[in-house]
Amino acid sequence: MPAEMSHLPVSTRRTFLSLVGALGLGGALAACGGDSGGVDTGGGSGGGKPTLKQWYHLYGESGTEQAVQRYAQGYDRATVEVQWTPGDYESKLSSGLLSDSGPDVFEYQLNVDMVRSGQIVPLDDIVGPVRSDYTDTDITATSLDGSIYGVKIVDDTGFLYYRKSLLAAAGVQPPTTMDELINATRALDRGGVKGLFIGNDAGVTPAFGGGALLDLVLWTAGTASLTPDNKVGFTTPEAKDSLSKLRELAQSGSLLLGAPTDWWDPSAFTQELAAMQWCGLWAMPKIKEAFGDDFGIVPWPALSATVGKPATFLGGWTSMVSAKARDVDLAKDFVKWLWIDNAEAQEDFNLSYGFHIPPRKSLASRAQKLQEGVAADALRIFNESAVAPNPMWTPKMKSAFADAATAIVRGGGDIDAELAKAQQAVEAELARLAA
Amino acid sequence: MRHSPAYLVVARYAALVVATVLFLLPFYLMLRNALSTDREITGVNWTIFPSSLQWGNVAEVFEDSSANFARALLNSAFIAVAQTVGTVLLSSMAGYALARIPFRYATPIFYAVLLTLMVPPAVTFVPSFIIVSRLGWVNSYQGIIVPVLFSGFTAFLFRQYFLNFPRELEEAGRIDGLGYLGVFWRIVVPNSLGFFAAISVITVISAWNQFLWPLVVGQNSSMWTVQVSLSTLMTAQTINLHQVFMAALISIVPLVLVFVFLQRYLVQGVAETGIKG
Amino acid sequence: MGATPAFWLFMGPFLAGLVLFVYLPIAWSFVLSFNRAQNTVQPREFVGLQNYIDLLQPGPFLDSLWTFTIFAAIIVPLTFVLSLLLAVLLNQITVARAFFRSAFFLPTACSYVVASLIWKLSIFNGVRFGLANQVLSLFGVENIAWLSSVNPPWYWLVLATVRLWLQLGFYIILFLAGLQRISPELYEAAYVDGAKAGWQTFRYITLPQLRTTSVAVLLLNLIAAYQAFDEFFNLLSNSSLARPPLVYLYYTAQSNQDYGHGSAGAMILAALIVLVTLGQNRIYGFGRPET
Repeated sequence: MPAEMSHLPVSTRRTFLSLVGALGLGGALAACGGDSGGVDTGGGSGGGKPTLKQWYHLYGESGTEQAVQRYAQGYDRATVEVQWTPGDYESKLSSGLLSDSGPDVFEYQLNVDMVRSGQIVPLDDIVGPVRSDYTDTDITATSLDGSIYGVKIVDDTGFLYYRKSLLAAAGVQPPTTMDELINATRALDRGGVKGLFIGNDAGVTPAFGGGALLDLVLWTAGTASLTPDNKVGFTTPEAKDSLSKLRELAQSGSLLLGAPTDWWDPSAFTQELAAMQWCGLWAMPKIKEAFGDDFGIVPWPALSATVGKPATFLGGWTSMVSAKARDVDLAKDFVKWLWIDNAEAQEDFNLSYGFHIPPRKSLASRAQKLQEGVAADALRIFNESAVAPNPMWTPKMKSAFADAATAIVRGGGDIDAELAKAQQAVEAELARLAA
Repeated sequence: MRHSPAYLVVARYAALVVATVLFLLPFYLMLRNALSTDREITGVNWTIFPSSLQWGNVAEVFEDSSANFARALLNSAFIAVAQTVGTVLLSSMAGYALARIPFRYATPIFYAVLLTLMVPPAVTFVPSFIIVSRLGWVNSYQGIIVPVLFSGFTAFLFRQYFLNFPRELEEAGRIDGLGYLGVFWRIVVPNSLGFFAAISVITVISAWNQFLWPLVVGQNSSMWTVQVSLSTLMTAQTINLHQVFMAALISIVPLVLVFVFLQRYLVQGVAETGIKG
Repeated sequence: MGATPAFWLFMGPFLAGLVLFVYLPIAWSFVLSFNRAQNTVQPREFVGLQNYIDLLQPGPFLDSLWTFTIFAAIIVPLTFVLSLLLAVLLNQITVARAFFRSAFFLPTACSYVVASLIWKLSIFNGVRFGLANQVLSLFGVENIAWLSSVNPPWYWLVLATVRLWLQLGFYIILFLAGLQRISPELYEAAYVDGAKAGWQTFRYITLPQLRTTSVAVLLLNLIAAYQAFDEFFNLLSNSSLARPPLVYLYYTAQSNQDYGHGSAGAMILAALIVLVTLGQNRIYGFGRPET
């Protein structure tokens, strides 16, 4: 009787169960029946212990998921259910936070609208006592309106990787200015190997994690997308200069474009499609495996010898607590237990799978793997040159600036006109946030 | 039709063969890459087929514990079948009502159903999810399946089809004392199996290929579908090309099989959607 | 059982689900479109038509409609001509027709994700091991970065071919069905009147007889192009070079979490589709209720 296909969960479930049986899939699906029950029982399982839901995006390195499951099991005040999300973490997280089916604890980057709309709670009480053990960049990236909203769990950063042997053969030095970089890129473009890879988008289009250079070209020109007092910073003469240098690089013909994967994957570099690549710290083990000692790193070069200074980004992930958490205090306690107190887990998570910098300074400075060779350079460059993202820089602002940068760098568009359009959009967003 | 000159026949076949090669080329590439090593895929010299076929790549995909591919195949199969049965049942009955059962407000209701085809789903996504969450269906099969059962498009196709169903057959049933339900189940459905098969295939394909909804509703990895699993391989830090292509290949095998076996109905069904020449 | 109870018996379950899972979200979205809704889907701050006014200023949303126009101008005529051509060829042969038809139809089983994967990583990959570049290298042509190049915009070639591959089969079948319904007597009569087989009979018999099928193909194709999402999303993602309306709305809602503007954009698109459908209905009558 079709009318029985009503929307009551009970009858629908029965219908489905009989279907499962009929299809002979019953055994396989019933084996996992525990999590197909639908209704979240909250604190039910685990001998009366409450349940915490913790969400991660998918880290690409194998072993990471098992590691976070292991950490979660070590927490004895609650049963921690870990969710690992491939593909579109952003959509899943935003839907979750807007509904009653979201996480208690999750990782993401701090964003002003999460604070303004009351989606997350301040964590000053757990971070405050150890605040000095984080770099100022980490604190800036996790703070807004004078409160700290997140605990950094991994710090990521990036470098210009270069092949020592290829640079020597072409007679060029590791670049420290944009002009040197453009010249080196041209000189290294030979024999089917391109000079440089900065992403298939020439670093300016935020697709597939692209747009790697959007902030860098501003930082290395002594400015930023938003100034510290939250004004538009990308229309200075230096910013325009920097964008036109990037355009010169993009149109030199010596840049690798159209690689199968993007700048965050070291494949283009390790497959010898390009002599230099802008890539993350995470790729260093793969690059070492491919080239041994035949590679070096520098930060992104300054606009010129007199303007700006070399820079790199502060990336990574931040653990936050949802305002809708069933028990906010418990969720905070878990974050403190894992990402502030549990040095062993933090070191394991940062250095045993991929390659990251532990956010706790005390930990980073004694981590064995960061003491020698190129890894030691990495830590030094990170401490000297990493710039924090501004949580006031919303996705809509980024999109407007990226559209302008794409038109300028890739499309050869008019610099002043394109930036003026972006400025208008960014100022509208700033006005909204000020309201 | 008159006989064509021989040169014309040859030209026609030549054109069709060229087109066929182009249509099948992507399948060949998928197969070739799936059975190669990464070194061969990215090598300088193109090889038509790898020097030794890497059948071990099949096992590699299933052994990747983070992708959980076998479980994902089962989930997808179950979801696709349940979704298809539900969709076909609900929308065939709705289509029949709109085509054949006299009712004062049938036309406005038909327009209301048509309207649902025109609103892009991107933005109704979050409200839909919140409804599912309120029902307590997050992380459940019914949460993934039930909300997408109500397809205005499928109901529209069924209505168009039933409009052309021979009335005499139905009237014969009516004379035998059957009501609407009896006529529908005993006469209309048995005489429309081809069309039902066609719509089923279309629904299976779209159910099998959906990504975002199952990802967001089926939160735990035990609920992942094939498409979600596939995306774990594509978001890996360093992408294993052969593994991605092998997973893609495995993911289309069930659909290709469905196609090969049901093609005849599908072709007939598409031709019967009520779009007359 | 009377007609009215029977109608509800058949229609009721479907309609109930439609109300809960389709109309309720649409109505919700409609209300949100008149509100500011940043990182929330609660309509708490009424702003009247402001979201609509914002979108209709020169900017990314209007640009996205322009992208759609270019895409439709490429894909609709190509799909029409190629599917008609292949259907006519299929209709004219006798041996192995089912084989060719299957070959053309098989890609319909693939998803845009899988197709985009093959296109991006294997055919139109911009480096030496991409198939297109391999073939071109035989003629001494340098590697082309198909998806990155802006001048010339090769990405249109990638976007168009992937859609053609996936959808041509469906339209070929539609045309083939239309062709097979044309009575052979029409052609015989024309030959008696002295018409030559070939262009003349095609122009004066085949095409007019395929009128309804042609309108259906054009309309379905246009609406599909209008709702294009997957290949743009999988091949170009959030790129201002070619960002059609649904991709723009996806990023507005899911990434910017601006549900007010996202909903307003969805309403504008829906209104445009309704207008196009009503317009063609007035002219051609495809899809008109015949009761």
